[in-house]
Amino acid sequence: MALYFGDLLPYSSLLLEGLWTALYITLVAMLAGSALGVLLYLGKVGARKPLSILCTCYIEAIRNTPLLVQLYLIYFGLPALGINLEPVLAALIGLTLNNAAYTAEIYRAGFESVPHGLREAGKALGMKPAQIVQYIVLLPATRNVFPALTNQLILLFLASSIGSIISLPELTNAIMSVSNTTYRTIEVLAVGGLLYLGVSALMSLASKRAETTLFRWAVGTHV
Amino acid sequence: MFRDFGWQDLVPLAEGAWLTIQLCAVSGILGVIFGLVLGIARTSPSRIARWISTIYISCVRGIPVLVIIFFVFFGIPLLFPGLEPDKFSSAVIALTCFAAAYVAEIVRGSIEAVAKGQSEAADALGLNYWRKLRYVILPQAVKIMVPPGIGFLIGLVKDSSLVTVTGLLELTHAGNVVTNLTGDPIKTFLVVAAMYFVICYGISLLGRLYEKRTGVHVDPLKLPEPAGV
Repeated sequence: MALYFGDLLPYSSLLLEGLWTALYITLVAMLAGSALGVLLYLGKVGARKPLSILCTCYIEAIRNTPLLVQLYLIYFGLPALGINLEPVLAALIGLTLNNAAYTAEIYRAGFESVPHGLREAGKALGMKPAQIVQYIVLLPATRNVFPALTNQLILLFLASSIGSIISLPELTNAIMSVSNTTYRTIEVLAVGGLLYLGVSALMSLASKRAETTLFRWAVGTHV
Repeated sequence: MFRDFGWQDLVPLAEGAWLTIQLCAVSGILGVIFGLVLGIARTSPSRIARWISTIYISCVRGIPVLVIIFFVFFGIPLLFPGLEPDKFSSAVIALTCFAAAYVAEIVRGSIEAVAKGQSEAADALGLNYWRKLRYVILPQAVKIMVPPGIGFLIGLVKDSSLVTVTGLLELTHAGNVVTNLTGDPIKTFLVVAAMYFVICYGISLLGRLYEKRTGVHVDPLKLPEPAGV
């Protein structure tokens, strides 16, 4: 068979719109999810036992089930309770709730990897727990968390493609509808795949750059 | 028109779960084999091997699994006329392509995590590359691979839900079928989610058992993150 990309040209704006929707969903879900993740993390490590158990259960339930099933529960399940959601809203809620559990675990791992000696040193200096977090632990923990968070952003961007199954008009959805109208399946999948690849490569480059400029003070230290 | 969600609906769901387990076992094993080859190539002294494996790994890791599944499912019959793999085979091919790239990154991370002195000592002893790999590096790297590998396997089980788009009757698709019969998506997909949870949590318990037995614990932030969201 001969490959021919010309048939795709009239649909390039459809593909770019799909890409834009994917990016928009990803960014909103990342911001909302990582904020919700902070609350989940604080709830999990906090002193209140019932809240801690609740947060742990939530995190484990989300991390051990597929995003697609979570989206199905929101998109098909909520209407059964009388709550009808647009695909965009359903995808946003699903990705946010999903992302929150993963970011909470990232915060936990990041804070746990700060050596205990630093906290003890703070205590020995007579600092209050809040001061220890603010002046000692926060900065190295942030440096540990940052690469994992940007990695999560890329994974979330790739995962936004799953929204196409609940008819969210993002890039994968656009790819499949162009494929259905032009029958240029291989070509449009190749172009769409390259769009995903390009954006995720840019994200990874930008995060490496941001890491070296934001955390220049930490070069060569192993905190 | 609909009947209530009942005990009899657990049968197709359990059958779907069994297919999901089979699918993940086959593509997981194949993924580990190809991933080992790719990961060793990624760290090999040969520049061509490094290039090819790096390009493959970065391409697959930068494209959503769903797009890879579509590519295999629709692409193979178009690119190779006459070759029409059944749904299970195309799902295995797609998940294996995807798994190999992520396993390769875990293999690379583990090989690089083996202390540098070990490699230098092997060089000093005059071992050639393959012997060094076989007797010095890999035995130590394999221990480091297991915890992130377990994390990846859990990711594979979750991502296998996406082959539902090909119509293969695995757990998620079985959930769709039961929903159409009962009109009760909440109960159905809660049961589906619970089944996934049991599979995934079971795998993670195995990982914890391994960590307890061997005392090997790897910082999850220092190695490539397990795939799948």
